[in-house]
Amino acid sequence: MDKSTIICRCEEISLEEIVEVIANGARTFDDIKRLTRCGMGPCQSKICNCLVAGVIHEQTGMEFHQIPLPRMRMPISPIKLETLATNSTTFSSVKSVLDEVELEDGKVK
Amino acid sequence: MNAVETDVLIIGAGPAGLAAAFETASRGLQVTLVDESKSMGGQLVQQTQVLSSLPSIYQPMCGFELAAHLSRQLEDFEIRYLLGHRVIGFYKDGSVGITDEKNVFPLRAKKTIVATGASENAIAFPKWTLPGVMTIGAAQTLMNRNFVQPGKNAVIVGSSDFAMDVALQLSKVGVRIRGIVEKNTGVKANGTEKVEQVRKIGIPILLNSSIKEARGIGAVSEVDIQQGEDIWTEKVDLVCVDGGRSPILDIFYQLGCSFGHQEELGGWVPQYNNDFQTDCENVFLAGNAAGISTQGALLVTGMLAGINVCAALGAISKEAVEEGKQSLWKELESIETRSNLKVWQARNQHIEKFAHPVLKDQFIS
Repeated sequence: MDKSTIICRCEEISLEEIVEVIANGARTFDDIKRLTRCGMGPCQSKICNCLVAGVIHEQTGMEFHQIPLPRMRMPISPIKLETLATNSTTFSSVKSVLDEVELEDGKVK
Repeated sequence: MNAVETDVLIIGAGPAGLAAAFETASRGLQVTLVDESKSMGGQLVQQTQVLSSLPSIYQPMCGFELAAHLSRQLEDFEIRYLLGHRVIGFYKDGSVGITDEKNVFPLRAKKTIVATGASENAIAFPKWTLPGVMTIGAAQTLMNRNFVQPGKNAVIVGSSDFAMDVALQLSKVGVRIRGIVEKNTGVKANGTEKVEQVRKIGIPILLNSSIKEARGIGAVSEVDIQQGEDIWTEKVDLVCVDGGRSPILDIFYQLGCSFGHQEELGGWVPQYNNDFQTDCENVFLAGNAAGISTQGALLVTGMLAGINVCAALGAISKEAVEEGKQSLWKELESIETRSNLKVWQARNQHIEKFAHPVLKDQFIS
């Protein structure tokens, strides 16, 4: 593998980028994800998970049982928002990030 | 919206799920079987190779024949089939969200058997993302399920028993295999007969070798193979990678199950006891999700999970449970010690470790 080899094909993250964040202290899949977007594409790390564990192992010498799994969230596989919302009889209003910002004279406090 | 109720929810209609469905439905339990595919049998459907090491009650047969047999034996029972449906996750109240791609509806089960199988692992090399590079299982699916020849000239990376099976099948449909590339010093496959067959039809097995690089514009057109100091180029339009398989864990993760690492079982595997029950009381597991093994063993684990769910729901007498468990464990031992002793040892070690799981909340970040 040379450093340009793609590890996360969804987000096109190369080996070089992953090695770099490991050098900066990343130790888990989720560390690497937060720093590079690795595993944040449509497959949600289903393909690159084992490759990334391999890179962590090679770079740090950590054993595979010391490298935790990435966090797996709902929905388990991609689903249309339209499908997800069907059958919902009551919609609660969505709280926007802006609701949390306190304004004073039209400006953020 | 009120949740649909069921005694037993089985997630995955592959060999293990179907075996578990038979054990539970035949004892009068109300069974719901969900699978994202519209057909039953899971990966068996495209397996035209003869499956060795099936349980003693079975004649040797091909994967698709076994799939048909397992589906047929469910015909007499009233099972709620949710084929072409996906589990999308779990709600706070413990019900499961299932979608038919138009709606999402909740379902509540007394017991759940997770038989989600395994996924194939990738092998990375420069330009491995080019079209034409696929897993060995994908090549088999294209060929046997979709009747599409996946390429004309191929290399296979990895030398497992499955890779040997697919190499023979690809050759039969006219794909020229330029080589089987294995990074280790020996062939990984246990079935010496198959390896012999592969050699006999002139497929070179290259040990100590790897793919250095693939090239192509829009699709793979050549690969550099490295063996020791030698590097040469093969013109290919198909690269099949066999990086082994790992259990599919998303559903266990969502359910809050804990995991243990067993290299021989495919890496991270949910913790379970010898009743195939996870650390979540109502969640059982079966098949490759409980550790990668041979089809025969997958069936037996499905039967074991099924019987233990029957016991938990009082659908079977205590004597029958003990008797059934004992004979099935014997069967499992016989199959796995014959086909892959290391898997059997790893499974026992894994169950042994159930009492001492790795930090349960180590994934919370």
